[in-house]
Amino acid sequence: MKKIKLYNYLIGLFLIGATTFSLSVEPEEFMKDPKKELRAREISKNIRCVVCQNQSIDDSSAQLAKDLRLLIRQKIREGNTDKQIYNFLTERYGDFILLNPPLKTSTIFLWLFPFGLFVIGFFIILKHHKKSNIN
Amino acid sequence: MNKKIFLVPVILFFLLISIFFYLLLIDRDPSELPSMLINKKAPQFKAESLFDEQTIISNTEFGEEIVLVNFFATWCLPCRAEHQFIKKLSNKPGIKLIGINYKDKNEITKKWLNEMGNPYSKVGVDKNGSIAIDWGLYGIPETYVVDKNGIVQYKYIGPITKKTYKQFYSQIKKLKK
Repeated sequence: MKKIKLYNYLIGLFLIGATTFSLSVEPEEFMKDPKKELRAREISKNIRCVVCQNQSIDDSSAQLAKDLRLLIRQKIREGNTDKQIYNFLTERYGDFILLNPPLKTSTIFLWLFPFGLFVIGFFIILKHHKKSNIN
Repeated sequence: MNKKIFLVPVILFFLLISIFFYLLLIDRDPSELPSMLINKKAPQFKAESLFDEQTIISNTEFGEEIVLVNFFATWCLPCRAEHQFIKKLSNKPGIKLIGINYKDKNEITKKWLNEMGNPYSKVGVDKNGSIAIDWGLYGIPETYVVDKNGIVQYKYIGPITKKTYKQFYSQIKKLKK
């Protein structure tokens, strides 16, 4: 009996989680052209919600996120390219608004450091391996 | 030689740890948000005036004195708390205050300003929040300091409080010199 109750709670929790996720982008926001809507969704997924900073505006139900989603759709309707839309947003909010930091001189360390570590690690292992083979 | 190489990850680890500690210990607010506007010309904007729908408030406001652009709304409680400090600033010489009323109802705002006092020399209306996006707004209240040349010098996110008022005003005083 107790087990069933627990299951019910878990299913309930799961459903609550599922609904809040799908509610972020509201139906009235959808564009008529599914291709354009898809483009808008793709852009939204890469844009940080500046209110709840670790969410994309596609996930966020903050008011400002909604405003930005509508703005992206309006820009698409006006015939802007994806690049123009990203530029419009970074001009106002900086690279911070992009969830993927762009590759620039100021971010090169961020992008290359993991590969550097990998290469160093690789050589250490190689050296160690050679040594143990000789032994 | 081959033993020394194992020191490399240890050293790297301690380096990393010291970086983390350094960032923890220095006086830094990680939630502080960057602004693109600092040291740039104030963004172009056009807002209908709250008190006279025929009048348009725009960038012509900048260029003579220091202008504070304050985004506020009557539905925003921190704005209400901040209002006394905005009023205090409006009494200082050489500062002009422009209010941008964010996603609000005109009638309610007029009432609110009547009741609380109106420190603004002009109030523009931003019904759909598009002016806010052009200024790179994160949330209200938010205050921008525009110097005599129309350049944004400072941005203050959140309500100005008793604690932060002095620091905020010192930023403006620097520009007066």
